[in-house]
Amino acid sequence: MNAYLPGPDRPGDAAWAADVDLERVWIGVAARVWRRDTGPVERLLGRLLRSPGLARALLATPSLLVPWLIASAAVFAAGAAATVGTGTPWVGLLAPAIAGAGIGYAYGPGVDPAYELSMSMAVSDRMVLLARVLAIFAIDTALGLGASAFSATAAGVAFGWLIPMTAVSGLALAVAVVTRSANVGVAAGTGLWAIAVLGGQAAAGHPAAAVSDRWLYLPYLAVAACCAALVLIRTAQPRRSA
Amino acid sequence: MNVELSDLTRRFGRRTAVDGVCLQAGPGVFGLLGPNGAGKTTLLRTMATVIQPTSGTVRLLGRDPGQHGQRREIRRRLGYLPQALGYYPGFTVAEFVEYFALLKEMPAGAVPAAVATAIERVGLADRARSKLRTLSGGMLRRAGIAQAIVNEPELLLLDEPTAGLDPEQRVEFRALLREVGQRSTVIVSTHLVEDVGAACSQVALMNAGRLVFQGTTAELTSRGEGHGIGDAPLERGYSAVLATARA
Repeated sequence: MNAYLPGPDRPGDAAWAADVDLERVWIGVAARVWRRDTGPVERLLGRLLRSPGLARALLATPSLLVPWLIASAAVFAAGAAATVGTGTPWVGLLAPAIAGAGIGYAYGPGVDPAYELSMSMAVSDRMVLLARVLAIFAIDTALGLGASAFSATAAGVAFGWLIPMTAVSGLALAVAVVTRSANVGVAAGTGLWAIAVLGGQAAAGHPAAAVSDRWLYLPYLAVAACCAALVLIRTAQPRRSA
Repeated sequence: MNVELSDLTRRFGRRTAVDGVCLQAGPGVFGLLGPNGAGKTTLLRTMATVIQPTSGTVRLLGRDPGQHGQRREIRRRLGYLPQALGYYPGFTVAEFVEYFALLKEMPAGAVPAAVATAIERVGLADRARSKLRTLSGGMLRRAGIAQAIVNEPELLLLDEPTAGLDPEQRVEFRALLREVGQRSTVIVSTHLVEDVGAACSQVALMNAGRLVFQGTTAELTSRGEGHGIGDAPLERGYSAVLATARA
């Protein structure tokens, strides 16, 4: 008990008190009290990405927040139910639009509040963008595959949407990066997908043609590759200085 | 020299925001003055490595921000407060400062103490666990300053840092600037001449994208002797230099 008594009640206490740096003690206490508890997901991501900052930036993604994930899961569930009820592969038709919207709203001015500050950080904005895009794509793929499995869609259709999803996601991202507007990017991605679905309906008589016709895969992949190249070029910092 | 700019030009389409600026700055507090639209923010954003120059050369902390590896090293040692501070409304002050400490790649073990120190230095200790959406404009500004100084930056760039601060907070903030400026280069962009007079040893004045004056605050004051408009000597020097540049 004596150890906790302040003042000159203990031998040598005057010198002891003079040596105590109260500011340092307070900072130590404050650091403990204000310290945020990192959850298991963030710790795992930090180890996987080898960067606690990148892990934190990933978990701050607007389209990876819990409400967005719940909404995405709900749309996929509704799509699965509609597929079972109507026979039309709604999961495959919805997946590219959901992924395109999520990726369009992943990062950029107007979407990420601290975008300007993020542009001056050691963890580069390009890495943040890449990590967020891959995470959203992986989550939407998992949700889509789960919904496809639930709705027992034919194998060709169950996986056919992965390629158009890549193209729509790439287009939404590229347009968002080039125009610096998430809304324009999402509109471009979902607009292109709507045209593809309606075009499939007009040409083949059923909307599933947009995900099941194999001759469309090459154009989808070409769009995805061009968009990826565009994003890489636009997010690269040119060497202009000394 | 921590900042070396040579013939720096930045254009946005046809508009030239910064026009052939040459600037050198070592440790100390450097004031960047000028009317609205003079190019101060563009110059600061270039030094913060947010945008690249259209032409000219930039060296920061002895490194070339055009090279990926060197730019990363610069950013680890950089503190930046933008004019329009974006923030996550659901973050607390401590979470906000911690977020940027991590993005600056500070060692994870050093982050909690650095966050606490930065928050304490800007006088937000009593609101450290408050959500940012509950703070006043002045408090948000101080949270922004805390994230800028959390990594003990060697180069600190502040764009209108005193906007929204009350007079007492501004006095405290100037003391903080002087303290940081003892070991680092602090560049403060402002149109408040009294902030520069109180805190800065060196000052530059921009007009229409060009640097029209660079020297000490005493030298700027002397330019206003006998002419210039304003209530304070430094204001008269500021207005006299601007009038000459515009003539």
